[in-house]
Amino acid sequence: MNRLVLLLVVPFALWAQPEFFGYFESEMDILQLGTEKYNFGYNKFRLGVETRPNDNVLIGANINAQQYWGKTSWNLFDFVPGYTENGYTMNFILPDTIMLDNMYMRISFPLLDLTLGRQQISPGVGYAWNPTDIFNHKSLMDPSYEQTGVDVIRLYMPLGNRSSFNSIIQPSDNFGSSTVQFALGAGWGRFDFGMNLTKQFASSNTTPILGDPFVEERFLLGGSMVGEVLGWGVWTEIAYNKLIATAFPPWSSIAYPEVHKPYSEILIGLDHTFDNSVYLLAEFLHNEHGVGKLSDLTVNDYLVNLGGSTHSLMQDYGFFYLMLPPMDYITLSALAIANFNDNSGTIAPQFDWNAFENTNISLQASGSWGASDTEFGLQDWGLRLRLLSNF
Amino acid sequence: MIPRLLLGFLLATSAVVAQTPTATEILKQITDIMSPENAYSKGSQTIITSSGEERTFELESWTAEKGASTLTRYTAPAAIRGQAFLTLNSADDIWSYFPRTKRVRKLASHAKKQKMQGSDFTYEDMGGGDTFLEKFTPALLGEEVLNGELSWKLELIGIPDKEPPYPKMIIWSRQSDMYPVAIDYYDESGFNTKSLVLSDIKLVENFPTAMKMIMTDNKEHSSTTMETLEITYSWKPEANFFSERTLKK
Repeated sequence: MNRLVLLLVVPFALWAQPEFFGYFESEMDILQLGTEKYNFGYNKFRLGVETRPNDNVLIGANINAQQYWGKTSWNLFDFVPGYTENGYTMNFILPDTIMLDNMYMRISFPLLDLTLGRQQISPGVGYAWNPTDIFNHKSLMDPSYEQTGVDVIRLYMPLGNRSSFNSIIQPSDNFGSSTVQFALGAGWGRFDFGMNLTKQFASSNTTPILGDPFVEERFLLGGSMVGEVLGWGVWTEIAYNKLIATAFPPWSSIAYPEVHKPYSEILIGLDHTFDNSVYLLAEFLHNEHGVGKLSDLTVNDYLVNLGGSTHSLMQDYGFFYLMLPPMDYITLSALAIANFNDNSGTIAPQFDWNAFENTNISLQASGSWGASDTEFGLQDWGLRLRLLSNF
Repeated sequence: MIPRLLLGFLLATSAVVAQTPTATEILKQITDIMSPENAYSKGSQTIITSSGEERTFELESWTAEKGASTLTRYTAPAAIRGQAFLTLNSADDIWSYFPRTKRVRKLASHAKKQKMQGSDFTYEDMGGGDTFLEKFTPALLGEEVLNGELSWKLELIGIPDKEPPYPKMIIWSRQSDMYPVAIDYYDESGFNTKSLVLSDIKLVENFPTAMKMIMTDNKEHSSTTMETLEITYSWKPEANFFSERTLKK
């Protein structure tokens, strides 16, 4: 930790006028899972610093210190229907962490921005899901939460006011297995369009039950559109994926027996603010990489999804968000997530109070529906209290 | 003698009539005087809620094309530092940037009616350009003394096909230079929903500038005061300044 702080603070302190900012966040959760009720939470301190040695250079960094409390050791099978009762265990522990989340430098030339280092990458136009995002895994209960930084080299070229070219390289230990993404964006009338092409190599842990990982080569062709139709905000994000398993395990001569099929993910979203200031957002996801029938689900599907390797466990989902007009720094809202394949879902009303300047208190309750062997029906109810203070 | 007197009276009357500008002329002059080609400003936004709570935000703003393109970035408090909004085509197109997620989001036109950071100003209130001329039909209601200034009282009725921000507005602009000193906004039922008062009007680089604007929400009984702390009209945007690239900076 001392080294991290030294690495982070000294150069900035020596440079011109660094700005320090960040937040403290404390969260307490209660979760009813089957017959057990768990308490857990965390305290998180995030410190950010930015400095501009001159008009063309920005240097930024973030450190997260996160301390977990309550239940910090979990059995993954608690989240897989039918497995806990049979005595299966696969434990994972939430350790206290101090993490350098971002550390990057952006150099702005007249025609392009070059950003090197660990930085937050947020591709896509979807709110709850981003089919074209291969870098992050969103929490459906809080899709607008910040994403962890990714080590990339990024080149951004504006091509006029509403057009741009963006390329991202996530270097691996050898250049041939680096992840590369190219994206084009353009605006026309009340619509913005995007297109991207991605090639990714990932040591994907998609067969954890069987043991060693295998190397996946992934090609993704993505597109997006955001605009307006009949006064409603509309957007769509589409990804065509092709996965190729190259070896199992990578150092083994045994060929992987299964050839992955290409699959597509389609997201459609819409939102509207009504005359009475009520705001409604809805998104629908169809993910061919997910499982279509409840009876076809395997433990592996659950573990792959819990590990963040897929955007959804099953194929068809809906996400709904409703926000009532804010009243004196109090916002009442609710989100609902529905799995249309196993007829389960969760609904979560939320109360947000901007109690003092820079300080928010939020309370979210959640209740699930569906049979006990379904994705959301597995969980009964939850309660989340979060305090956040920015500085 | 009588005919001469009558002639003199008629001539005087016709001179007065000739000096009275039409509603469209007044509106054009209001638009011109309120829309310098470019501007850069720093200011504060103080919101007083209906329960009397007060919060102050600090922001900087860039405008071009007579207000048709704007970029606004909040600099304080910490919770919203870096949040920015880009509006093009007189707020017909809006993009927002949230530094926590590093995400730019295009907002549909319904979002124009949302309050900026909970203030009594909506995104479209901040839009400039030729909105008044293009989206309203003006009518001159007469003249009134408002805040000590002899002012024209102008009624603007929204043209439905043009998606006006409000169905009806009444503007008082002082006769000395046509600069507006007050605006009332009405809803479909004819209720005066919001009132804007422009004061502390100073001449900055030959442009009259309201250093203070107070928007009062007559329904919720809240108000927002926008104060200009620093402004220049000599700023000129670089090529492609009003773009996603600048929004994220």
